[in-house]
Amino acid sequence: MTLFHFGNCLSLAYFPYFIAYKCSGLSEYNAFWRCVQAGATYLFVQLCKMLFLATFFPTWEGAAGVYDFVGEFMKATVDLADLLGLHLVMSRNAGKGEYKIMVAAMGWATAELIMSRCIPLWVGARGIEFDWKYIQMSFDSNISLVHYIAMAAVVWMFTRYDLPKSFRLPVTILLGLCVYKGFLMELFVHVFLLGSWMALLVKAVLTGAISLCSLFLFVTLVHSN
Amino acid sequence: MFEEASEVLENMLKWSLPLSLVLFLVLVCPLRAEAAHEFSVYRMQQYDLQGQTYGSRNAILNTEARTMEAEVLSRRCVMMRLADFSYEKYQKALQQSAGAVVIILPQNMSTMPQDIVQQFMELETELLATETIVPVYFALEDEELLSIYTQTQISSSSQGSSSAAEVLLHTATANGFQMVTSGAQSKAVSDWAITSLEGRLTGAGGEDLPTIVLVAHYDSFGVAPWLSYGADSNGSGVAILLELARLFSRLYSYKRTHAGYNLLFFLSGGGKFNYQGTKRWLEDNLDHTDSSLLQDNVAFVLCLDTLGNSDNLHLHVSKPPKEGNPQHVLLKELETVAAHQHPDLKFSMVHKKINLADDTLAWEHERFGIRRLPAFTLSHLESHRSPARHSIMDMRPHVDLPKLSRNTKVIAETLARVIYNLTEKVMLHYLRFSTNVDQVQEDQLESLVDWLTAQPRAAQLVDKDSSIVNTLEYYLNRYLKDVKRHLVRADKRDPEFVFYDQLKQTMNAYRVKPAIFDLLLAFCIASYLGVLYLAIQNFGLLYSFLRRVTAPRVKQH
Repeated sequence: MTLFHFGNCLSLAYFPYFIAYKCSGLSEYNAFWRCVQAGATYLFVQLCKMLFLATFFPTWEGAAGVYDFVGEFMKATVDLADLLGLHLVMSRNAGKGEYKIMVAAMGWATAELIMSRCIPLWVGARGIEFDWKYIQMSFDSNISLVHYIAMAAVVWMFTRYDLPKSFRLPVTILLGLCVYKGFLMELFVHVFLLGSWMALLVKAVLTGAISLCSLFLFVTLVHSN
Repeated sequence: MFEEASEVLENMLKWSLPLSLVLFLVLVCPLRAEAAHEFSVYRMQQYDLQGQTYGSRNAILNTEARTMEAEVLSRRCVMMRLADFSYEKYQKALQQSAGAVVIILPQNMSTMPQDIVQQFMELETELLATETIVPVYFALEDEELLSIYTQTQISSSSQGSSSAAEVLLHTATANGFQMVTSGAQSKAVSDWAITSLEGRLTGAGGEDLPTIVLVAHYDSFGVAPWLSYGADSNGSGVAILLELARLFSRLYSYKRTHAGYNLLFFLSGGGKFNYQGTKRWLEDNLDHTDSSLLQDNVAFVLCLDTLGNSDNLHLHVSKPPKEGNPQHVLLKELETVAAHQHPDLKFSMVHKKINLADDTLAWEHERFGIRRLPAFTLSHLESHRSPARHSIMDMRPHVDLPKLSRNTKVIAETLARVIYNLTEKVMLHYLRFSTNVDQVQEDQLESLVDWLTAQPRAAQLVDKDSSIVNTLEYYLNRYLKDVKRHLVRADKRDPEFVFYDQLKQTMNAYRVKPAIFDLLLAFCIASYLGVLYLAIQNFGLLYSFLRRVTAPRVKQH
């Protein structure tokens, strides 16, 4: 709507990242460059995913109102590449588990913020027309931050050699939920015809649940030794 | 963090010059926001006639919308619906120096009650008479526009509400609208050509035959040029003229019925602007050519103006015809035909002297009268000031087809009686039987009127290449000979008429929030960030809590 509104949206989107970076103590470990590397890995993984999707998945030519469940499910499966990317980043960083997770997650989420949020905000929030969707987009980026931290934690736990047998199943379930979260959200919106604010709330609740579970498992794993 | 950040950024900048270039381009490119709603608006008339300016002068707009209930109207765009429209409200808006006025008309005029339509018709001339610098637009209503109007109305009427909390809540939830028009400021159209068409049917029997001229102006007029369809005035006149051309060309193609009169048909343009087409045509034919049908023996000129409705028929004259003239014969024949064959028709003669002191002439026949040619106008209207002649409400439903066809029959039969000099029914029956002269096809009239009212025919919109002129020319060519175009261009130094452009624009309505809303939002975001900061600082609490929850279980193993 105006530059002020753009400033509002940008601060809503970016400040939590800044706060998380400062307060998690990453600055003491000279982690900035590593976060940038994680961001670069994100770009590379997205590029590969796009190429893969463009080559192997035809465009959907069915009816407009029908939601292509199978097609979208297949596309969501490609998001497994995200997990591989996170794993790659974390394996290249030496250090404690928390350090690895935080570095990977911060870099990944910041790259996603810059790539997918900045330009729509710049072009859209600055115009005369006002729309609530820009505020929602900024909130969504906050939720994504939490989501990526949880995802990185789950990936880290999955690749640990000393993971107890009883944890295998919950970790795998959480991993699957993380990857298909986008798909599940679209399913919810389509089936229950949720409004945009309701969808945001459901997304926040879902992400909160996933992250609490992963935190619980992480604490148990780290402090059981 | 900042030292290492700067190091990293320096390295990045060295090889990211192309990236920054792209970024620069993105920053500089102009904004194209999506509009909440985009719709066509039609501007009020703007023209100069004989030096006098009429209508709305301005064309660009970029202001907030309000409705009449709001207290502050200055520099705002005032929206009004036709049902709530009144002249006092309009005056009030202008006095408070509103930025613009948008009048919303329903898509289907027939849903409006008659008294509102009538009242608006009378107001149209008043609207145009006051010259205003405020742009006045007309828009056709659709669902989105109606919702914009209702939202604006709610927010306008609640501007005077009492408590601060209500106002605060209101600013958070209300939607304001910014109305922006695309297009430039209006300027005069240079070198506009008004086209008129003429065609003739030559009579039988040598030289020096008397001529009868049939005239109708084909343009229409209303408060908004793009919305003036002019069904009755003068679509009906044009339809009758074309139908007469068809009938008489058929009659003239047989030797038996080829009469001793020349028939000259003239479709004039610019009729609503003081009959510019007719004026120039007369000048050209009488002053600038050596021989023309108009200079020799003219029996009379019959102008057709608004004949599509009502059971009245008036013959407007500027000088009552004397006995023995062809004009008198026409008058008598009209009375006879009306009385004997169509008793429901009330015919009368209206005498009005030509008043040269008036701004505009009353009827088209006065142009001919000034040049000493005997002329009449036939119309169902009694006064030339009737609002039905200059209204945008004059659309297809205003033309009653059976009445139009009855009027056509009356005129055709009268003309036949005059040119064949028949006063006895017997001869007329013979004629009718042999050539079906009275086969006025109602379908033909209907299709003509439907075509004429399908597009606006304001003089500012019909230029010499328009489809209307071309179709009329084609039609005349089928039945008449010597069909010619006649162009009128305004004089360069002292123009009789000046038209302005930007009559149809696209208006965008953008949803906007008031400035308070931004501050409110900033405050909310700041508090949210504060809460988040505290939460992250105290994340350790959650961590230790979970540790304590899981620890006993571990100890038990």
